[in-house]
Amino acid sequence: MKAFVRHALWFALAALVMDLGDGVSAQESTQSWSSSVIKIESTRHQYEYFQPWSRRTASNNKFGVVVHDQRIITTADYLFDQTIIRVQKGGRGSWYEAKLQWIDYHANLALLEVEDAGFWDDGLQPVRFADPIPTTGEARLMRWNDGRLESRRLEINRLRLGRSALSYIDLPQLELDSEVEGVGWSEAVVVGNQLIGLTTSQSRSKCSAIPSFLVQQILKEVDQGTFRGVGFFNFYWKKAENPAALDYLELPGQKRGVIVTEIIEVPGHETVLRPKDILLMVDGFEIDIVGDYEDPSYGKLMLERLATRGHWAGDPVPMTVWREGAMIDLMFHLPKADYRSEYVPSANYDMPPEYLMAGGLVFQPLTEPYLRSWGGEWQRRAPVRLVRLKSQAPTEEDPSCVVLSAVLPDPYNLGYQDYRYLALDKVNGYKVVDLPELKEALESPQEGYHVVEFLPGEAVSKVILDAPLLKDATQRVMFNYRLPTDYVVGEVDLP
Amino acid sequence: MVACSSILKRIFLHLLFVTLFSVLHADDPEKSVIQIMTFSQQPDWDEPWNDSRVRGSTGSGFVIEGNRIMTNAHVVSWAKQIQVRRFQDSRPHLAEVAYIGHDCDLAVLTVEDPSFFEGLDPLPIGVLPKVRSVVNTIGYPAGGEQISFTSGVVSRIELINYVQPGNRSLLAVQTDAAINPGNSGGPVLQDGQVVGVAFQGTPGLENTGFFIPPPIVQHFLKDIEDGVYDGFPQAGIRLSPLINPAYRKYLKMGDDSASTGARVDTLVSDSAKEFLREDDVLLEINGYAVAADATILYEGNQVHGAIAFSQAQHGQSVPVKIWRQGQAMELALPVHVNQKDRLEGNQYEPPRYFVYAGLVFTPLSRDYLTTFGQNWSAVAGIGLLYELFYKKNAEPEKARNEPIMLSTVLSHSVNANMEIRGRVLVDAINGHRIDSLEDVIQALEEHDGSHHLIEFGERLGFECLDRQDADSANAAIMETYGIQKDRWL
Repeated sequence: MKAFVRHALWFALAALVMDLGDGVSAQESTQSWSSSVIKIESTRHQYEYFQPWSRRTASNNKFGVVVHDQRIITTADYLFDQTIIRVQKGGRGSWYEAKLQWIDYHANLALLEVEDAGFWDDGLQPVRFADPIPTTGEARLMRWNDGRLESRRLEINRLRLGRSALSYIDLPQLELDSEVEGVGWSEAVVVGNQLIGLTTSQSRSKCSAIPSFLVQQILKEVDQGTFRGVGFFNFYWKKAENPAALDYLELPGQKRGVIVTEIIEVPGHETVLRPKDILLMVDGFEIDIVGDYEDPSYGKLMLERLATRGHWAGDPVPMTVWREGAMIDLMFHLPKADYRSEYVPSANYDMPPEYLMAGGLVFQPLTEPYLRSWGGEWQRRAPVRLVRLKSQAPTEEDPSCVVLSAVLPDPYNLGYQDYRYLALDKVNGYKVVDLPELKEALESPQEGYHVVEFLPGEAVSKVILDAPLLKDATQRVMFNYRLPTDYVVGEVDLP
Repeated sequence: MVACSSILKRIFLHLLFVTLFSVLHADDPEKSVIQIMTFSQQPDWDEPWNDSRVRGSTGSGFVIEGNRIMTNAHVVSWAKQIQVRRFQDSRPHLAEVAYIGHDCDLAVLTVEDPSFFEGLDPLPIGVLPKVRSVVNTIGYPAGGEQISFTSGVVSRIELINYVQPGNRSLLAVQTDAAINPGNSGGPVLQDGQVVGVAFQGTPGLENTGFFIPPPIVQHFLKDIEDGVYDGFPQAGIRLSPLINPAYRKYLKMGDDSASTGARVDTLVSDSAKEFLREDDVLLEINGYAVAADATILYEGNQVHGAIAFSQAQHGQSVPVKIWRQGQAMELALPVHVNQKDRLEGNQYEPPRYFVYAGLVFTPLSRDYLTTFGQNWSAVAGIGLLYELFYKKNAEPEKARNEPIMLSTVLSHSVNANMEIRGRVLVDAINGHRIDSLEDVIQALEEHDGSHHLIEFGERLGFECLDRQDADSANAAIMETYGIQKDRWL
């Protein structure tokens, strides 16, 4: 009996797949995808944050799919710091130069355009997006491999919320099982002749993909010029599985909701939530004790989905909370995901590493790319004091941090050669939070000296520099160590 | 501290040296070298009411004045029983620790049976040996039952980290003698006098062993004369080299003194804050001229200036000459044993704990962190490392005297729904900030609300317990998990 049920289930699933495929055979399907899947070559700068004036280039191949208006959509990954993007159709033959029309690193999506009309001549076809997408059953992975379109089997596990590949926010992700190796380069995940996702990563036999409904929603907003960036819920919550916690907060009735534990400070954003609020409803959906809501299309999903379900940065999201013995309706405005709102930014895309070199002392903003210079286990290997600052909340007075990252030995800085990885506090009495402020502070020496102070607890509290000799020393160090400039901030072209 | 710990990890306790029989003192000093067998039990820092299995280990020692035996502290740490044997005598005698100095890795033992010392001459304590001079060692290393003699030369003399405390550096002598586990505590001899106590080596480096030199041994013996061991005092300052010409000029140091004086970078102790200022320049400590790289010339060896402070006893004052704002000054700087960093080093007292409703609270310490495994500094996480080792300097106003961990939760229906199951730092209980284990007890025992609220740091939120249920469950949990006392303070 059980075997019969199992077989019946398989038939049902097969029927579902066939339905989504509009009855198109596998062979026909593969052929049709050959006119939609594009190979992309991205060449980009690779920066060395320990020597921020050094740069190398690296190239990677990835994939994208054709969308309407003669464009290609792909993931944003590996398109940052790019110097040239080229695209190839049919898996072989000519390469065409492409330009970024739009990119959003938090959403992990990018749109490419190709000016050369020859690229579009041979009947490239925009993809059809599946919406809703299937969350079980079989799918195919489509990518070009040695001039042929490789079509490999995938098993759809589930739709879940997960950390976006290039961001700190959670977005819907399609989880897939696959024995295929080297996945995660924006390969098309398809069922029949519909796109259900673009791959983003792989861990052993598990792959993740951005679901096509999210791609389609964002594309629509971009086309309408209304895309305001991805918003997120800037608070931590805990499950309410411990009844004692709900009793303590005196929530009447059945156990439900989750408990807000901490608000993440975002400059310029005032959140209406408070720690120990019980979050009961978000955007009209009831939240259960593990933090899920019942999505009309996809069933149980984590509440973070409600930050992107038809909403974008700045949008109001209605919430109901239980606070201090009363039910309160609130309007939560979604803050925009922005690396610049972090004390230690997670990323620094499309900009060379910033630095200021003064008399051989190299100062850099403390960023996650800088910390990642310690390698894959940077959170364990980088100096504890600097890693710890990653969890510091920015404030108006102290929004970011500059570190003395190295000292290039010169007679001017004799005795300081071993100083490095020190977080800066003040220069000449002025609090310094970024390089422009440091540059400005160095314009105001104290009675002929530059007084450089580090944050309490650093290995050394202070260094003193001879102010009149600084300019010559800086020039000498630039020459000896072949630095193109002593100051790089923002998007600049190095000489 | 982390940098220190990585060094410490590479170093292990044990040793000894070999000696040339022909150069031994005529009075056969090996007769005064004692074999020590220790049976010890270490506590479980995660479940602090438990102890490890009884472990046996051997070490060495030697007879000193007053019918006493000197050895290393690590030879007799956590001892439940200590047996000592004389040279070529298989009879064990029971011994006890009279004094132990974990910071200098030295201990003095007494023996119950006074006849043990009959016919044994105390070995005289000598002076700091010269670099390149030959030293001889005697002890009972692993690899055999009989006494062993080895020799080597003094390679260098400097300040090194002592593994026994884990967070103290004192003067030590490096020798190229072969190093063998088990000889710790044995004498290092030169011209018939003890010029050191063998104590540690460095795995991975060949011909590298260390012994504790006479200035440290004499300091220890002087310290215990009043019946109490205090320890080695510190100045409570962080010294930085003062080499940069601009910095020297900024502090109005003349060109004629380009190689002298080190800068007081940070004031750590209260007494240092009373007597010194940041950017004072230390010119002399206890009569030793301080070089610009913060070293002094000590008995012909260029060593860190901290050595000069550690010569004093706890509570004494050390004469220093300083340069402050363009003027030379002389003052007497009181020095004290630092008790505030106890949790950052290895401890040799049973861990404090409190158990309530299956929640086990114990101080965050270096010993506790070792429960995360051999690679604890990488595994424990930045938050705990920062709290224990960095916060008091970086954010003294927020630092806790004794950070408290919820080390584990002993499962019971009263706590079964708690999401957090241990290994987290406790921030507050029932609204009271937790600064010590006593705060935990007070916050829980004096609370009369319907629920206990236990809040954690590191974005972990909080947990709640029904107070009446928790109170009722306490006894049953203690019985189930075999805990005899709900607290050890």
